[in-house]
Amino acid sequence: MNKTLLSLIVYVATLGVFHNVLFPIFTPKEIGMVMNRYVYYLIMVLTVIFLHLIMKLKPTMAFRGLMVWTLGFYFYKFILFPPVPWTLFITYMMLWSIGTFLYISQDPITFREFREPIVKTIVGEYKFAQILVFTLMPFLVGFGTYKALYPTFEEPVELRTVHPAPPATTKVHGKTYALEGLQNPFRIAEQDDYQDSFPFLDADKSEYMRHITDGGSLFFQNCHYCHGDQLNGLGMFSHVFNPTPANFVDPGTIAMLRESFLFWRVSKGGPGLPNESTPWSSAMPPWEEHLKTDEIWKIILFEYWYTGWHPRTFDGESSITLKE
Amino acid sequence: MFHNFNYKKPLAALLAFTVSLGMSVSVYAATPDIVKKDVLELGKKTYFRRCVWCHGVEGGGDGPSADRLFTRPRNFNQGTFKIRTTDSGHLPMEEDLIKTVTNGLPGSAMPAWGEVLKKEEIVAVVNFVKTLVQDRSFDDVEDEIVEVQDFGSNPWGTKGPYHLGIPQEAIDQGKEIFIKNKCFECHGGEGRGDGNPTMKDDWGFPIVAADWQQCWNFRGSRRNAYDPFNVVRTINTGLNGTPMPNFKDQINQEDRWKIAAFVNSLCPRKNIDPLANKPVSDFLISSEFTAGPVAKTIDDPMWTVPDSDTKITGWQDDEAYKEEWGAVNRPRKNYVAMAGQITRGKRNFDPKVDNLWVTSRWSEEENAVYYLVEYHLRFLSNDPEWKEMVGIQWPAKLQDLFGAEKPYFIYGDSKKPVHVWRADFLPVNYKPTNAPNPEGYKLDVKVTELNAHGFEDVKVRENPVVEVVDSIYKQGRVKILFRRALTTENADKLEVQIPAQKFIPISFMQWSGRDHEKDEHMAISTWFYTILKPQIPNSIYVNAVIMGCVFAGFQGWLMWMTRRTRKMYDDGVVLRDRLPDQPS
Repeated sequence: MNKTLLSLIVYVATLGVFHNVLFPIFTPKEIGMVMNRYVYYLIMVLTVIFLHLIMKLKPTMAFRGLMVWTLGFYFYKFILFPPVPWTLFITYMMLWSIGTFLYISQDPITFREFREPIVKTIVGEYKFAQILVFTLMPFLVGFGTYKALYPTFEEPVELRTVHPAPPATTKVHGKTYALEGLQNPFRIAEQDDYQDSFPFLDADKSEYMRHITDGGSLFFQNCHYCHGDQLNGLGMFSHVFNPTPANFVDPGTIAMLRESFLFWRVSKGGPGLPNESTPWSSAMPPWEEHLKTDEIWKIILFEYWYTGWHPRTFDGESSITLKE
Repeated sequence: MFHNFNYKKPLAALLAFTVSLGMSVSVYAATPDIVKKDVLELGKKTYFRRCVWCHGVEGGGDGPSADRLFTRPRNFNQGTFKIRTTDSGHLPMEEDLIKTVTNGLPGSAMPAWGEVLKKEEIVAVVNFVKTLVQDRSFDDVEDEIVEVQDFGSNPWGTKGPYHLGIPQEAIDQGKEIFIKNKCFECHGGEGRGDGNPTMKDDWGFPIVAADWQQCWNFRGSRRNAYDPFNVVRTINTGLNGTPMPNFKDQINQEDRWKIAAFVNSLCPRKNIDPLANKPVSDFLISSEFTAGPVAKTIDDPMWTVPDSDTKITGWQDDEAYKEEWGAVNRPRKNYVAMAGQITRGKRNFDPKVDNLWVTSRWSEEENAVYYLVEYHLRFLSNDPEWKEMVGIQWPAKLQDLFGAEKPYFIYGDSKKPVHVWRADFLPVNYKPTNAPNPEGYKLDVKVTELNAHGFEDVKVRENPVVEVVDSIYKQGRVKILFRRALTTENADKLEVQIPAQKFIPISFMQWSGRDHEKDEHMAISTWFYTILKPQIPNSIYVNAVIMGCVFAGFQGWLMWMTRRTRKMYDDGVVLRDRLPDQPS
């Protein structure tokens, strides 16, 4: 049997089995030292080489070149994680193609060997291949042109600044606050001491838990529609809005912000945002229209207690050192 | 609606036999799962952190949020739970409650806790909730019996997420069972829940029947909206505390699956967002180019596009349409998610409409654009003081917007005004208590155009030019077909001028007159985009042929060149490159 044909069968079968059977096994939810996609790829390549060695297959150079090239394609397309954007993918494949060409043209023999089937196809020594390729290619080119010219429309991508720089001062309910150094007046105790306390039940015993109960009640009357019962930004109206509501459980939101920033964002809402943050589509109300100043602070206090995050604080000492 | 799949007859017979075997095993009676005392402490902690805000300190469904929710949070005190595997009126199994907490109750404010709480926390909180039941007791093994129902299994073996491929025959039979058992009395003629406006739950709060055409809002959908099992379970067990009884005596098990197939077939197949458990909004509303004039009647094939995503169902144009229109694309029916306007002024916490479906076409010949806006609304107003309304919002000064800039999505702002096309309407000869009317109701429509610089500065335009060319309210669904010229006189520069092939911000507003919604007290969408798609130019076919021919010519040249080189080698005109091991 033709060694190249046999090699092709072995190669396609190996890749098919690996991709459909072993790939899901090697990419579990929890990635381990062995059970990961790179180990999987290594084993796959070694298997292809091993099978060729024991079966004493020596396919033609053109097919070997094709194998090398497709293994690279497979790596960049399926293995490399996280997936790269297509522009980068094209760049990588160009480099890989150059590498494959270097492999092919390492010496004149391999290069001639590589060219041989191509030349034979072109001049018509491989009659069937010639007819197939020469009739199919113009159609493919025509179809590709049609596809490329056919107008398709995707919604425009809009980028926005999620946490814009806050202003120096903000005026809420007629009073001007300097955000620098502004503290939550209800943060009267260390919240970690109250993680096991009960809202409502402990509200009479502890002033702090009374604030948490108030803040939580206000949150669940006003905020949960968007920010969610779990404070994860998945409230019952959240899917309607674009940008989607903030997820407070995520380390990228309230965990990396100061309470004074939250106070400004909550008070002024979407309309108070700068243009870079697309104020026109933010559904966040300017809460000063609906809530009292104290209520806003209590809700902020509750959000930190519930999620367990600590607000970023103003570190007095280091700022003094810097000034000197 | 579906492709009939070719299942083998003997297999079906075998399945039917298995199902009948299942029926003979049927129901088994047991005692309720008693409260696990050792987990109550953890349960209490979890409850008071996570649940108390809606369900209240004593589980009375009266937490701080309760009055602003529709449907209200569950009152646990009576031991009344909707989604169960047990008989009507019985207490639920612990597993039922665990599934409810894990998957949440879609369509309500109850979220899925499966990804937030640990399994033992869910078990603990469920056991704590059992202790909040005051009127009966899970520990009362003497008097409380639970009869766990047998539901059989899906006779067609269809698979999620979309459960396509149920034979049309079963669906048609299901429809007959639906009619025979008068399900339409509450659920409406086409299952949009528009049957009975007077229903109350056990606590006297108003309640409405499920809308079968929005199955992602089924409380018991267990995050698997298209599974017919959800329907079978509800037919079998009823929903405690609501007017929904069980139908297990009236409908045998084989027929329950058939009626489930029917109910299931009504629900449009859309890509469901796994986090929100709702269809993903189609953020680009393409207006399809139409050669010649656009049909001005909603029933015209130009407008009868299915709700389902055609990529999922594989729906094809029928022959009649193809003959008339050839390969002209149908416009997509776009899903537009809506929420209560809870941002400014008088807020709307319980909107009655949570989505619209929008289809659009435009005609160069007419120089006009059409938007067909459809939505489900169970009951309409017939009070002239409180009209039903739906509107399309545009930036009034599109040409002044730079980049992604838009007016504020609620009625614009002082610098960037909006232009709203609003249809104000009342159904003719309609009463909410009427029996289902397959003819539907004509609408008495008046178009109002608004300009707004913010929700406190809304002005009605005189002499509106937007038209509603057709409209109807049929079986719980409103359809309004808007038409406007692409360009207008625009004397005051506050009318939107619609260019072709440009992305234009568009958003939607809806007011339920029956619910006394008006002004900013409404349902609203965020900004979407619309674009008038161009005609497909013939040049792209020509260019494709030209490119193909050019390539064929190139191939010929390559062949000629290669042959010539060979001949030159053979004739010795040119020397072949010498290989290392060959002697020179």
